Amino acid sequence: MGSDDLSAGDKILKGFQINYMILRDADTGKVIWQENKDFSAPDLEHEARVPVKILDMRAVSREINFSTIESMENFRLDQKVLFKGRIMEEWFFEMGFVGANTTNTWQSTIEAAPESQMMPAKVLNGNVTIQTSFYDNETLITKSVVRLYYI
Amino acid sequence: MGLLSLLRKLRPNPDKEARILLLGLDNAGKTTILKQLASEDITTVTPTAGFNIKSVAADGFKLNVWDIGGQWKIRPYWKNYFANTDVLIYVIDCTDRTRLSEAGSELFEMLLDNRLKQVPLLVFANKQDLPEAMSASEVAEAMGLVRLEERSWEIKACTAVDGTGLKEGMDWVCKNMKK
Repeated sequence: MGSDDLSAGDKILKGFQINYMILRDADTGKVIWQENKDFSAPDLEHEARVPVKILDMRAVSREINFSTIESMENFRLDQKVLFKGRIMEEWFFEMGFVGANTTNTWQSTIEAAPESQMMPAKVLNGNVTIQTSFYDNETLITKSVVRLYYI
Repeated sequence: MGLLSLLRKLRPNPDKEARILLLGLDNAGKTTILKQLASEDITTVTPTAGFNIKSVAADGFKLNVWDIGGQWKIRPYWKNYFANTDVLIYVIDCTDRTRLSEAGSELFEMLLDNRLKQVPLLVFANKQDLPEAMSASEVAEAMGLVRLEERSWEIKACTAVDGTGLKEGMDWVCKNMKK
């Protein structure tokens, strides 16, 4: 491979963009928080200021919309919800084939375990992150990190 | 209704994961149905240039609903998503008389695929709120659904924009989920 050639992973990364993220109350479908910007700038942490009532919701859905210029053979993601770096929830999801020049969404909803609802807002505030890593096969394409603040 | 309660009713076995595939021509109403099932706002629905997936988990069970865009140029991608499907939902725009035969031939062609063998089929006859809409029985007749053999199938009339008929369809899905 010549030095001018991009690796397959770099090419995919170059054409990959996260368009928006949305948090919703899964029971009512109402939007709690939405951010329309490119989250795929690597290592940049984003902040979400969400109403404190989110903690009383039975389930919150997390939606990510992304576009890719390159097609991918085995697209998958790994989404973690962390409290002070400790995994509270984790979801591996394999989408497989993703077509060239497509825009796609993935929404995950996990019903909160009763015990995880026990932690008060002031303890959670600024200590919870949602990390979503995107891969094609074993190649990491990008990772988005959103830190939650309860207001 | 809601996807979490749907998951409760399904209780997928034995791999604890269920997969519903939502297909149909462009503008049939697939994304609107998916968003209605999750009680979401449907005023911003735009043509799907790829796919939309909703994954829900509760009590150790998971349900994944795949809505794949129906535009002509992305229909060749449909076959990439056939594997491990437990139920196929095919959506028809009942006001689109000129493309009903196209909708039918796309359906029958994909049902030949081995990965969809014996996968239960629900056809949603959508847009019943519009005066020019064909009835569910008209659509079933025109598409020749009676030709389907060795497959459980059902056609249900619905209006995705206000949710009419979706619950009845999803009840059928729950009862007929491939085991």
